[in-house]
Amino acid sequence: MATIVTALYYLLTAFVAVLLAVNFLKRKNWQEEALYIIVLVPFLLRLLRLK
Amino acid sequence: MIRKAAIAGLGAVLAVLAGASFHRGRHLAEPLVAGPGVARVATLGDYFAPLKGGVNDAHVYILEGQAPGGTVLLLGGTHPEEPAGRLAAWIFAERAELGQGRLLVVPTANRSASTVTRLGGAYPPDFTVPTAWGGQKFRMGDRWSNPLDQWPDPEVYLHYPSRQQLAYVDIRNLNRAFPGRPGGTLTERTCYAIMELVRREKVDIAIDFHEAELQYPVISAIVAHERGADLAAAASMFTSSFEGFSIGVENSPKALRGLSHREIGDASGAISLLLEAPEPFLDATRGRTDRALLLTGRDEFVVRAGRRGLLFEKIDENGWPIDVRVGRHTSTVLQILENWTADRPDRGVVVAGVPRYAEVVEKGVGAFLTDPKTAPPGRLFRE
Amino acid sequence: MSATASATMILAVMVAAFVAAKLLKVSTELALFAAALAGALAGGQGVAPRHLVEGAFTYFDIVLIFVTATLFMNLFKESGAAAFVVRAILRRFHRRKAPLFVLLALLLLVPGALTGAGSVTVLIMGGMAATVLRTMAIPGPRVAAIVFIIAGLSAAAPPVNLWAMLTAAGVNMPYVGFFLPLLVPCVVLALATIFILGAGAKPVDLAKALAELPEAPAGMNWLRVATPFLVFFLLVIAGRVFPFNLPVLGLPLMFAAAGAAALAVSPAKIAFFRVSRETVHQLLPLIGTLTCAGVLVQVMALTGVRGLIAITTVTLPVTAVFLTLFLTLPVSEAVLMWGAAPVLGVPLVLLFNTIGLDPVVALAGMSVIWPLGDAVPPTAIIGRLTAATVGMAEPYGKLLKASLVPAAIIAAAGTLMVVFSKKLALLTVF
Repeated sequence: MATIVTALYYLLTAFVAVLLAVNFLKRKNWQEEALYIIVLVPFLLRLLRLK
Repeated sequence: MIRKAAIAGLGAVLAVLAGASFHRGRHLAEPLVAGPGVARVATLGDYFAPLKGGVNDAHVYILEGQAPGGTVLLLGGTHPEEPAGRLAAWIFAERAELGQGRLLVVPTANRSASTVTRLGGAYPPDFTVPTAWGGQKFRMGDRWSNPLDQWPDPEVYLHYPSRQQLAYVDIRNLNRAFPGRPGGTLTERTCYAIMELVRREKVDIAIDFHEAELQYPVISAIVAHERGADLAAAASMFTSSFEGFSIGVENSPKALRGLSHREIGDASGAISLLLEAPEPFLDATRGRTDRALLLTGRDEFVVRAGRRGLLFEKIDENGWPIDVRVGRHTSTVLQILENWTADRPDRGVVVAGVPRYAEVVEKGVGAFLTDPKTAPPGRLFRE
Repeated sequence: MSATASATMILAVMVAAFVAAKLLKVSTELALFAAALAGALAGGQGVAPRHLVEGAFTYFDIVLIFVTATLFMNLFKESGAAAFVVRAILRRFHRRKAPLFVLLALLLLVPGALTGAGSVTVLIMGGMAATVLRTMAIPGPRVAAIVFIIAGLSAAAPPVNLWAMLTAAGVNMPYVGFFLPLLVPCVVLALATIFILGAGAKPVDLAKALAELPEAPAGMNWLRVATPFLVFFLLVIAGRVFPFNLPVLGLPLMFAAAGAAALAVSPAKIAFFRVSRETVHQLLPLIGTLTCAGVLVQVMALTGVRGLIAITTVTLPVTAVFLTLFLTLPVSEAVLMWGAAPVLGVPLVLLFNTIGLDPVVALAGMSVIWPLGDAVPPTAIIGRLTAATVGMAEPYGKLLKASLVPAAIIAAAGTLMVVFSKKLALLTVF
C-alpha cells in the first residue's frame, strides 16, 4: 500500500512538473520564465530520484 | 525562443551540477576494515528479512572473545549528522579485541539518513578525517531518513504503539520510531530489525551514540533507562573522576516515546543507554556552516550564545573538536563495560585495543582508523 | 576577519543585491534569488549549485500542499459550490448584519486554515465576500482591509499554520498543542476585524448583491458542496484513528482526493487541465517566493548570515524583543515570507523556551502577527493580491491605512500571547 502511495506522489510530482513546463512555454515575460525554471528544478530532481 | 532556451539551459546546468553532487553524496562508499575482534559480519536483513538488500540493510560487525560472557550493542549513525557517534563505532569495529563476551557494532544504523543532507541546512556533502595515509572521507548525513527512501510524511506523526503525536518529519527519525513495527515505514522497519537483533542476540546493554547542539538541555550525558540507572551513575562517576572530562546522567523520561533509551529497554531485556556529546555544528546560532566547523566545533556565535547563558554546555575559543567528542564516546563505553563486568562477571564484556579519551585527543581520530589499502582479503567493507 | 565582520559584510552584499534587483524592476522572487546568489559569491562559495538547489528543495513538500490545496479550492469554486454557499447565506441572513458578519468571517477563515495560505482565502472567497460587503455600503479600502486581515488570520488558523510548523520542526518540537492557541485568537480577531471595519454598514441590498454574485449552476446542492470536504476530513480522521492500519497519505494526496471529489460531483463541466494550469500560474508568486526564500535561507546558513541574525536576536534584552515583535515579525515576513520562520522564528522560540515561556503559545502568538507583513513591501504579496481581487479602485496605501486599527489589535494580542504564554498554556490540550 505504502508503495502505491509513493508512486502516486511521483505521479503528482510529474503532473505539477508538466504544468510548470507548459506554463513556462506559454509565458512571454523573462522573469516569469526564470521563476518557472527555478520552481521546476526540484520537481525534476525528485522525479529523477536524485534528491 | 532563444531566450527561453537560454533560461531553460541555465536551469538545466544548475540541475545537472547539483544533481551530480547529490548523486555522489548518496553513493560515496566509506571503507571499514573489520578489525581483529570481528568474528563475522551480518546485516540487519539477517534479523528482519524484508530489509535484506535495501538501503537500510546495515552491517552488523560481530566481535567475539575467547571466554563466554555478555553481549553489548553499539549503535552509530542513528542520526548520521552526529558524526562522532559513527566514528566511535568505526574505531570499535576496526580496533577492538575481545577478551570476554561479544560486541555487536552497527556504525550506520540509519543508512538512508546518511545519504542525504538537511534541506536549508547548508551541510557539506561529506567530510574528511585526516589520517597518516592522507585522510578518510565520510558522508555527512542528516537526522532523518532520505525522502527518496520514504515519502510522503503525514501531517502529524503518531508513534507506534503509544500513539503519541510527534512532529511530522520525525516519522523519518530513527530515534523517534523505536520499537518499530514489521509492517511500518522504512524507519519503523529498521527499528524493528534492530529490536530483533537485540532480542535474538540476547543483548545485555544497547548503547546509542549521539551528539547534540549546545542549546539542547540533554547534553554531555548518559541518558539511561531505569534498569541502567546504577550502571550509568557508576560509569559517570568513574569517568568524571579519572578521564579528564565530566559526563552526567539523565533518566530516560517515561513520557517521551520512540527514543532508543526508552523503547529498547521497555521492549527487550536489554539495558538501554544513550550517549550525548556536544556538537556546535548543530546549533541554530552557528555561523558559517562548513567542514571546518563540523570537525573543530569552533564557532564565534555559539560562544556568544554561551556568554549570554543560553547554552547547556560550556564552549570557548577551542570549540569542541571531533577528537574530543569521539574520545568521550570511546571512554564512556569502555567505562560502562568495566563497571558492568565488575558487577556481572558471568555476563562480562572485556575489550582491549580501543583508545580512551586522552589518547584520542592526543593522537586524533585518524590515528585509529585503518588504511583500507592494507585490508586483508575479505576484511574490507563499504558502509 | 571575525565571523561577525564577515557575516555582516555578506549580509550587506545580499541586501545590496536585493535592492539593486528591485531598482532594476526585477520581481521580488527573483530579487531573493539574486540576493542568495550574491551571498554565495560574497561568501567565497562560488555559484554553489548544490546549495542553491538544496535550498530550492526546502519547501518542496509545502509547495505540493499549496498546489493540491489550491487546485481543490479552485475546482470547488469552478463547480459553483462557493457561489452557492454565499448566495444561500445571503438569502437567509441579508437583513441581519451580525450573523452575516460572523458567517462571512468564518467562510473567509476556512480556505486559508486548510491550506496555510492567505492567498487561497483571497482567491476563493475574497471576491465574493467583497461583493457582499460592498452592497452594505462599506468603502472599498475597508472591504479590502477586511479581506486581507482575515485572509492573514486564516493562514495562521489551524490545522495548517506554516510558520508554526516550520519553526516547530526547526527546534525539534512536535507540531502538537497548537489547535486552540491558534483557533481562539484567529476567530476572535477575525470577528473583531469585520465588526470594527464594518461598523456603519447598511443592510444588504439583496437584489443588487445577488445580481452581482456569480450564479450557482442548476443542480448544485448542499450534498455536493459537502462531499469534497467530507472526503478530506474523512481521510484526515482515518489517518488519526487507524494510523497503523493505513499507509501514510500526506496532505497533498488528501487534497488531491478532495479535488477529485469536487470534480466528480460538480454539476457543471470543468476543464480540469485548464484549471490546473491556471492554478499553478496563480500560485507562481507564492511557490516562487517559497522556493527562492528556501534558497536564501540555505545560503544564509552556508555563509553564517543566518547565525548572525539568530545570535543578534537572542542576545537582545528580552523586553526589547517583546516590544519589537510587532515590527520584526512583519518585516521578516515581508522579505522572506515563510523563510522568516527558520531564520527568526527558531532563535526566538529557543530564547523564549530558555527564559521559561511556553513555546507553543508563544509561537502561536508570533504566528498571528507574522501575516501582517504580507501587505508590506517589498513582497506585499497578499496585500496586492487582495486589492486586485476585490477590485479596489483607490491607491494601495488606502488599504494599509484601513488595516491599521485591526493590525494594531492583532499585534498587541499576539505580543500579549507571547508574554503571558505560561498562563495560557492550558490551551495546549490538542
